Amino acid sequence: MTRTTRRNFTAGLGAAGFVAGTAPFNIVRAQSAALKIAVVLPRSGYLAPAGQSCHRGALIAPKVLADYGHKVELVHIDCESNADVARTQTERAINDGAQVVVGAFDSASTLAMAQVCEQRKIPLIVNIGAAPQLTEQGYKFLVRNFPTGGMLVTNGLKLIKDELEVTKLDAKTAVFLHANDTFGTAQRGAMDKIFPTAGLPFKLLESIAYDPKAQDLSVEITKVRALNPDLLIVVTRAADAIKMVRDMVRQRFEPKGIISPGSPGLYDEEFYQALGPLSDYALYNLPWANPKSKMTQALEAAFKPAYPNFRFAVECFNVGFTFEALLVAAAAFKKAGTADGTELMKAVRETNIAEHVMIGPAIKFDDKGQNVGIPSAAVQNFHRTPTVTLPADVATAAPVLPIPGWQKRT
Amino acid sequence: MKDMWTAIPARGRVILLVLLAALLVAPAALDRYFMSVLILIFYFAFVGQAWNIMMGYAGQLSLGHALYAGLGGYVAALLWFYFGIGPWIGVFAGVAVAAAFGAVIGWLGFRFGIEGVYFALLTIAFAEFTRIAFDNMSFTGGPGGLFLLYEEQRTHEWWNLRGGPLLFYYLGLALAAGGALLTAWLARSRLGYQWLAVREDQEAALSLGVGAFRAKMIAVLISASMTAIGGVFLAFYYNSLFPAQAFDIGRSIEIILAPVIGGLGTIFGPIVGAFILTPLGEALIALTAKFGVDLPGTKAVFYGLTLMIIITLRPDGVWPWLKRLLGLEPKS
Repeated sequence: MTRTTRRNFTAGLGAAGFVAGTAPFNIVRAQSAALKIAVVLPRSGYLAPAGQSCHRGALIAPKVLADYGHKVELVHIDCESNADVARTQTERAINDGAQVVVGAFDSASTLAMAQVCEQRKIPLIVNIGAAPQLTEQGYKFLVRNFPTGGMLVTNGLKLIKDELEVTKLDAKTAVFLHANDTFGTAQRGAMDKIFPTAGLPFKLLESIAYDPKAQDLSVEITKVRALNPDLLIVVTRAADAIKMVRDMVRQRFEPKGIISPGSPGLYDEEFYQALGPLSDYALYNLPWANPKSKMTQALEAAFKPAYPNFRFAVECFNVGFTFEALLVAAAAFKKAGTADGTELMKAVRETNIAEHVMIGPAIKFDDKGQNVGIPSAAVQNFHRTPTVTLPADVATAAPVLPIPGWQKRT
Repeated sequence: MKDMWTAIPARGRVILLVLLAALLVAPAALDRYFMSVLILIFYFAFVGQAWNIMMGYAGQLSLGHALYAGLGGYVAALLWFYFGIGPWIGVFAGVAVAAAFGAVIGWLGFRFGIEGVYFALLTIAFAEFTRIAFDNMSFTGGPGGLFLLYEEQRTHEWWNLRGGPLLFYYLGLALAAGGALLTAWLARSRLGYQWLAVREDQEAALSLGVGAFRAKMIAVLISASMTAIGGVFLAFYYNSLFPAQAFDIGRSIEIILAPVIGGLGTIFGPIVGAFILTPLGEALIALTAKFGVDLPGTKAVFYGLTLMIIITLRPDGVWPWLKRLLGLEPKS
């Protein structure tokens, strides 16, 4: 009895190995009318909130793209905020016929996917990923429709100057308060490099780092208060942005402006929920959806019924960039008339899309595959809603500086 | 070496040879996806083996093994990035740095009697502060990461680990097999028996004249060195390193899972564990996709449940059970 069981087991093991080894190695590339796109996003793991927000953009994209004459079929892949999974799943998706890959929000996963796409000659369109090196590695099958970390800070600081000019605020001093996590430290590095040559009219008194996991930021806010700057420039995440504002209210510290040169935190839903009116007037300079673009309006119209529990105004950063990555792929497919990777990539590199979602000129890529024309917009919270205040041609409200005191809000 | 081979029952030798031969010819039949999965299996089998030496044999719990992999990877990658020194040389520097860190941790722990969970905390602390240090060092790329240039025209340079999946497949296979051989040899050596003595009862071992401090230090040094080699492999496979990932405790946990599931203190445990865990993750992704389950984290839930079931049913790991099932137990 035992013998038979063992033999069966061994035979089963051999059969399983044979099947695993021989069955699925035919690569079938569908040459159908719809472009098959693998959308790789970190929908679980530590990047899940942002990944899921991007995913919502991907889910509504086929309908909106169809209205613009593009036919796409999406394969949704959760890379679990893990580069190993991103790499193996990209391989699998291409095996299953994906003709373009879009993703992957974070640079580590994107780079793991980039090598696969390069070796298999499949276009990879980066929706979000700020590491400058992504487009400096010589990849021929990668483009990025997202600013680099340096571009974010440069554009963000430039906008602070515009905000001060428009509001005629005479700010003479500022303190830079930032989280000491990976993103915050990188932004600090960019700030140290770019601020001295940015030509801003105020003096940076000090840069203060904090632990985003701290129970409160009372010590840091006490330090800032002692310096009494006109402006508080911040790089935060949502949880610590809440703690920061609460401690500022407790200590009755009221700067003339709270401005982020390009970070999340001040426009997350939890920030609005936790702080209510205290979340208003925070200003952040980021690439943003163009409220006056017809395509943005179409995307918003598709978003609202699909996600009644989420606000497009809050999610448009992730949703917009993910949608645009898919738009680039679909437009290239239409232009190339084929899903052949090399031809498709050629069309992707020649992208010139004037009408799109995010604020800025036509989507175009330079020789390295970087869209260098993505500007930042000044977005300010009014009535718990992110509102574009600059540039003036796309703004729906004027920026407000100095910001009202904590007690003067309703 | 011959003793090691003859110690395996005849049936085991046949199975081993068949499996090895199958893995050697597998790239001819497998597509890139399966190869990428096997590369990860080999990696986790190798670094799992490294951790197994420290925990499974010497009984020292480390929850910060990502430290050694990260250091090995970073040192070799930096030498390549700044000086063009290839990873075959860089790996020695990586191993030296990782071993030096291991020596400091080991000395602190064993000299001052820090044991059990406190020793584990020490290993986590070292990994954490190294991550923070790398976040703040500009020459390592800081938090933005270190990127090795991907050049298509150099993909034939296997000696610089610039090749494609095939190169990493065979290198991974060699590492996994080499790691198992080394562990088998060590386990049968005088040192291996000293480790077991220290693991089972340190006081008794000391009273018998076993140099517990020396034995444990050697275990840490070997384990750190092996893990550093794995780190070099991974750094050149991905061509990028980020402190947040390289030194993350999550990475350390991934390293220890294969030996825990496969069987601690056994030579084939880490290999069996790696062959279960990585395909299990991939299979769950495929299954959830096939059944249209699109909820994020579903795979993680089933993965966790499966691990719980395995641990409940096979508390000593899968390999001891599998060994009995295959009739590979030495006849007493």
